[in-house]
Amino acid sequence: MATYHLQVPLKDEEIRKLRIGDIVFFTGEAFTTRSKFQRYIFDQGHEFPFSLKGRNLLIHCGPVVIKEGGKWKAVSFGPTTSIRFEKWGPKSIKNWNLKCIIGKATMGESTQQAMKEYGCIHVSMIGVTSNLGLSQIEIKDVFLKDEMGSIEAPWLVQCTDYGPFLVDIDTNGDNYYDTMDEIFKQNKKKAFEYLNIPEDFDYTKLY
Amino acid sequence: MITLKTFDKAVYDTIVRATTTIAPDIDKAFRDALDKEHEGLGKVALETTYENVQFGVDNKLLVCSDTGWPLFFIKLGEDAKLEGGLSGLEDRCRKMVAKATEDAYLRATVKHPITGYDTGNNVGANVPAFTYHIVPGSSIEVIYVSKGGGSECFGGTRYQVLGFADGVEGIEKFVIESYISGCRAGKICSPSLIGVGVGGTADISAKLAKEASSLRTIGSRHPEPEIAALEERLEKAINMLGIGCFGLGGSQSVFCVNVEYAFSHIGGIAVSVGASCCITRRATTVINDDNTTEIKLVPDWFEGR
Repeated sequence: MATYHLQVPLKDEEIRKLRIGDIVFFTGEAFTTRSKFQRYIFDQGHEFPFSLKGRNLLIHCGPVVIKEGGKWKAVSFGPTTSIRFEKWGPKSIKNWNLKCIIGKATMGESTQQAMKEYGCIHVSMIGVTSNLGLSQIEIKDVFLKDEMGSIEAPWLVQCTDYGPFLVDIDTNGDNYYDTMDEIFKQNKKKAFEYLNIPEDFDYTKLY
Repeated sequence: MITLKTFDKAVYDTIVRATTTIAPDIDKAFRDALDKEHEGLGKVALETTYENVQFGVDNKLLVCSDTGWPLFFIKLGEDAKLEGGLSGLEDRCRKMVAKATEDAYLRATVKHPITGYDTGNNVGANVPAFTYHIVPGSSIEVIYVSKGGGSECFGGTRYQVLGFADGVEGIEKFVIESYISGCRAGKICSPSLIGVGVGGTADISAKLAKEASSLRTIGSRHPEPEIAALEERLEKAINMLGIGCFGLGGSQSVFCVNVEYAFSHIGGIAVSVGASCCITRRATTVINDDNTTEIKLVPDWFEGR
């Protein structure tokens, strides 16, 4: 487990050496997405609204943003659960040339495969950081705000040593949480023993 | 009579208090868990989350980004009088939800499930939601819950009908397995406040689970010893799982397990499991007939059950 401070645009060779369990921080530009924008692009076939050149860091996030003195300012900025965007995981990696997705609660098998194929990682926040992250990001621009609404529009942000994040899918396609699942499975036996639930207990099949 | 001016301000302040502060029982649960969690990423996640909460409290910012579904639980005094009539109560609450959203104390999170139509103010069909208890007196007690989507959407809420043959083991197995799958990779922001609703129809058990998770004070026990014992056993068993904060491992997997029940049909037992985020957001204000208001630090929704 090592700690890395990475610069955006993220370099392929840097991303490929990261392994699950590593800790990372990011400096440079990133953009946000949720469901509505990915539906708009991938399912409805609209054109991507800004240049992706040098922008290969995506954040799954629906921020709370206000306008202060004519400038956008985030008042809450917390990465959100990525697994709900699994349908668009592989497409977003391939079409947007992503090297990293920041989110929460990891992603599924098809995204893991795409990350292995294209050299991309998924990282998760370690606890809730919606306020602590405010000093590490600055809102630069927003696109399609009227169409998407403030939460689901893609926001362009400048990150300054934004982190820490845990690498939970690496370019080998390994998932950090698979290792946790094994631990919970073992502990479940102990919990069932404590509760006197027999190992072969099954519910009555009512439906 | 409670004036609209008093009512609106009290409701608005309750919403803002729910999303920008933390109730004392939840604050204590965080501190207790921090004392007991000694190492690893689960400890880091717990510390970070608590620090994030405190930053929000100190700066009047959201203690969590996702302000979720707006839910009102109202203890309505049988003699309460509201300017313009009690039938206007929900409309005033809806207006205050819209205002709090405009002021960025709520994130505009809810929208039409089919068309995607977004009012941008958290007000739409059946949302905010209202649940009432009619109580003696002339006060209106407003409990506001900001029900986060993580714990609601990703396996924190489960329902199954068990046979009477399955007994307590069946209920316990269902709770444990629901929680493990919901907590994978921090989907439901553990350590959660778990509510279990046993018995009743599907909606009654789900409602009890929701209220048990979101409205019971941490550390409170059901008054019936059999139910209290079930709560204690489940808490201990879940903390044996090693899930920890955000599924990152640790001894602190749950802040509490609260069980509520309704009489069940002899055909089967409806069991619902509901989870509320470690940063459970709720606030309570009592609005009196003389237009004074009192902040209540914890709701006593189940008082007199």
